[in-house]
Amino acid sequence: MVCIRQATIDDLLAMQACNLMCLPENYQMKYYFYHILSWPQLLYVAEDYNKKIVGYVLAKMEEESSECHGHITSLAVLRTHRKLGLATKLMTAAQRAMEEVFNAEYVSLHVRKSNRAAFNLYTETLGYKIHDIEAKYYADGEDAYDMRKQLKPKSGGDGKHQHQFQHQHQHQHQHQHSGGCCSHGPDSK
Amino acid sequence: MGTSLPSKEANLFKLIVKSYETKQYKKGLKAADSILKKFPDHGETLSMKGLTLNCMDRKPEAYELVRRGLKNDLKSHVCWHVYGLLYRSDREYREAIKCYRNALRIDPDNIEILRDLSLLQAQMRDLAGFVETRQQLLTLKPNHRMNWIGFAVAHHLNSNASKAVEILEAYEGTLEDDYPPDNERCEHGEMLLYKISLLEECGVFERALEELQKKEAKVVDKLAYKEQLVSLRIKLGHLADGEKIYRALLAMNPDNYRYYEGLQKCLGLHRDDGEYTSDEVNHMCDLYKSLREQYTWSSAVKRIPLDFLKGEKFCEEAENYIKPLLTKGVPSLFSDLSPLYDHPGKADILEQLILELENSIRTTGSFPGRDQKEPPSTLMWTLFLMAQHYDRRGQYDLALAKIDDAIAHTPTVIDLYTVKGRILKHAGDLVAAAAMADEARSMDLADRFINSECVKRMLQADQVTLAEKTAVLFTKDGDQHNNLHDMQCMWYELASAESYFRQGDLGRALKKFLAVERHYLDMTEDQFDFHSYCLRKMTLRAYVEMLKFQDRLHSHSYFHRAAVGVIRCYMKLFDSPSKSSLEEDDEMSKMLPSQKKKFRQKQRKAEARAKKEAEEKPEEETGATGSGKSGKRHHAKPVDLDPNGEKLLQVEDPLAKATEYLKLLQKNSSNSVDTHLLSFEHNMRKQKILLAFQAVKQLLRLNADDPDAHRCLIRFFNKVDSFATPETESEKLIWSVLEAERPVISILHGKSLMEANDSFLEQHKDSLMHRAAAAEMLYILAPEKKSEAIKLIEESSNNLVTSNGALGPVREWKLKDCVSVHNLLGTVFADSDAASRWRTRCAEYFPYSTYFGGARSSAVSQPAIDKMCSAPENGGINHKAKIEVANTLNGSSIALENLSI
Repeated sequence: MVCIRQATIDDLLAMQACNLMCLPENYQMKYYFYHILSWPQLLYVAEDYNKKIVGYVLAKMEEESSECHGHITSLAVLRTHRKLGLATKLMTAAQRAMEEVFNAEYVSLHVRKSNRAAFNLYTETLGYKIHDIEAKYYADGEDAYDMRKQLKPKSGGDGKHQHQFQHQHQHQHQHQHSGGCCSHGPDSK
Repeated sequence: MGTSLPSKEANLFKLIVKSYETKQYKKGLKAADSILKKFPDHGETLSMKGLTLNCMDRKPEAYELVRRGLKNDLKSHVCWHVYGLLYRSDREYREAIKCYRNALRIDPDNIEILRDLSLLQAQMRDLAGFVETRQQLLTLKPNHRMNWIGFAVAHHLNSNASKAVEILEAYEGTLEDDYPPDNERCEHGEMLLYKISLLEECGVFERALEELQKKEAKVVDKLAYKEQLVSLRIKLGHLADGEKIYRALLAMNPDNYRYYEGLQKCLGLHRDDGEYTSDEVNHMCDLYKSLREQYTWSSAVKRIPLDFLKGEKFCEEAENYIKPLLTKGVPSLFSDLSPLYDHPGKADILEQLILELENSIRTTGSFPGRDQKEPPSTLMWTLFLMAQHYDRRGQYDLALAKIDDAIAHTPTVIDLYTVKGRILKHAGDLVAAAAMADEARSMDLADRFINSECVKRMLQADQVTLAEKTAVLFTKDGDQHNNLHDMQCMWYELASAESYFRQGDLGRALKKFLAVERHYLDMTEDQFDFHSYCLRKMTLRAYVEMLKFQDRLHSHSYFHRAAVGVIRCYMKLFDSPSKSSLEEDDEMSKMLPSQKKKFRQKQRKAEARAKKEAEEKPEEETGATGSGKSGKRHHAKPVDLDPNGEKLLQVEDPLAKATEYLKLLQKNSSNSVDTHLLSFEHNMRKQKILLAFQAVKQLLRLNADDPDAHRCLIRFFNKVDSFATPETESEKLIWSVLEAERPVISILHGKSLMEANDSFLEQHKDSLMHRAAAAEMLYILAPEKKSEAIKLIEESSNNLVTSNGALGPVREWKLKDCVSVHNLLGTVFADSDAASRWRTRCAEYFPYSTYFGGARSSAVSQPAIDKMCSAPENGGINHKAKIEVANTLNGSSIALENLSI
């Protein structure tokens, strides 16, 4: 019914259009460029039989923090294409790439507290857990759940992993500061 | 830098540079001022102060200081470099390049300037220059990885992929054996994949394969590895290996259609035309049967066979495919099946099949031949599918009956209303379609998709103000215009531009069309930062793809629509000069001179006030509407001083403006009929005979049978024939060209224009649009034959259409075509009787059309709406009373509450 494949540069405009159709959080094209030119492996699209982009996942790696982890920037599926499991398929593909290519420890995302459908998908189908609550995360003042899914077994045992866990608190601190979408953009120097 | 200064000031100068780099502009400014106190004419300090001010939004001062600095120290590379940076910040790249070159003349080995120059060369696609600069950088700093990579990429872009490979291999030669360290494995892997893709591009597949396999361990991206491997295997004809890899890829992602296609190719089971022998079909059946057992979760394995199966087998598979999806209630089922409607016979089979399913569920509660009872929703989804089927076939009354059945069955499913809106739109009742979409919207106010769908329908019905109000519900900072614009919401801008254009509001139309064009400018600009970023990140394959994408950016459909719109606006402006400026002149002429002066002063004051207010606005978050902490922040924008686009209409030469956009279309959309139709109209107005002729030739090339191509051809030569004999040299030249070309056009060969028109009519006498074109040309060639021409149109008959070999109860004529024929009768022929006869006739064919006042359209009665709007809180939805609709915007939260109970 719908093809799940890695996004190419030619898909970006359609991804932006899909985002603007479905979601209140929108981004300029440059931000899509930034993603595909940084982590081309982490963008996936759902393309229907008429070659229309009906869903996408836009993801990135948080590289500045001590723990290497992925982050889902945006996920959307057109309302007309619900009940096909597209969101699950898109997320699974992106998560797999995070782990395989970038060796990500875990993947994080933000979801509106009121978005029960998405919340259920993340917790029940995809295995995410609430890590934290970010107050007034969204422009309209709504809180976000900061959710995480562990990609690798936590019990690493070796010194490296333990070292990282000790720094988890510090990491959260950093995360709040570096949370800006475009502040991560390539510097124009 | 700052060499001529004493040590204290020299240190201060260093501080300015550092402050600039760390964006501490105030600090830099202070340092600059204290140097200038002692040395007021110090060129480099003046320049740096200017550059600093430029970053503080004080542009005029910045330019003045930078120029003064340069004048005081023409021999300073710093001053030239700064001047270049200033131009660069204003996107004046050509000027910036000149400045950098001057700077390099003074300091040829300045790495920073060379790097800045290389970025501009990449941006401007000065590829030869880019190669040269990159070579210099590598020579100066061969120990920098980025310089090797940059040099290689430069050669690749400059069409020398093999040279690029050489450079990358030389770079690899500088690396230790145990390279890369852990933290650079991704980058290194990307570099290797880039190199292998270059080898593939060079056509040396064996070598590419060998290299890929040799470096397998170092390629981190295993998916890319496999995809690259299979691509090479197939190019080398290693199909058995290819098959294995595709099966492995499918195991990773069994929903990627390209892998299935690849697998079929490897098995010798792929044809581009989709026509397979029965033997091949059997093989494919077996293949997909076994794949289906392997990948139970994949929907692709179930859907693909419907493409190649035919007749009974198709029917059987389709039934197996459709039934579970109806039980599950998958809303996109019809859209998934719709490509099959282009295959001969399949639409009829589907219709039979779905009707049988409906009948079975209605009578037995189960699918045919099954005992298991279906849930009640199955019937509703079956009706939903049926409605879309009839919609697709143009049987709108049946489609509406089915969707109404579905709604009566379960009134709470939003998708039903959305689809009903779409059917009404296709049937020609745009107003009812918009009302229906609004109904759907009110059922879930938190869903932006149905909001967008509703806005789209409102714009189609030319309810722009209402559409704006509705769209704003999802843009948070209230000032929705900026917001949708900032977020580059192009579908919205285009749809409202097109609506304004239909309504004759050229100013607003132009403004919106130009807004879309502006987004494309910004996208071109967006690439700038990535020229250096990608070399560092090593995402070279993606980078090169991005550059290629940028080079064809203007062929994208949104841009095409915007450019077409802009040209149409300017052309219309040329045909009937701006009303608003005329009106204003009119008003002004009635005033006394003193009044005029006051009026102008008032205008200026109002503008100034608006501007001031805008500047005083605190720095609000206007960038991303998105998540607060992850949004991009912008400076507040100045208030729009021309919200209605009136100033855009005050152009001296609209046709000259249009030319810019026409050129872009000709360059990027040369296979679009629109491009050449516009070019024809444009050049006829400009009396550019040969260019108009070019357009005619292009139209004939694309489709000589197209009615509009025929119109242009006849109109062109009719016009040419009416000219006086050529006198000047250039006129004679034009004539000789046309004389040579005319006989080459087969339609005109040995025929008069009238004869050519007759034979065109003879060839296409069963087609309404061709008859209309022939009639129009007959009237143009021989105005005395007007009534004969009108008769030609009126004697056209609307036959039953054969679809997929079966005769359906659907007629041939399209609503859109009938509307344009109506326009033709009313304007070109200016025959209101004929137009009104046409309207009456079409109202019969299109009972839902508001344009023709069809009996079932909301223009006459509102059964379609009234039926839906039985709930009192929605009773106000009425296209005639927009105020009431606005009320329902507020009232819809009540509607939602009622529904959710």
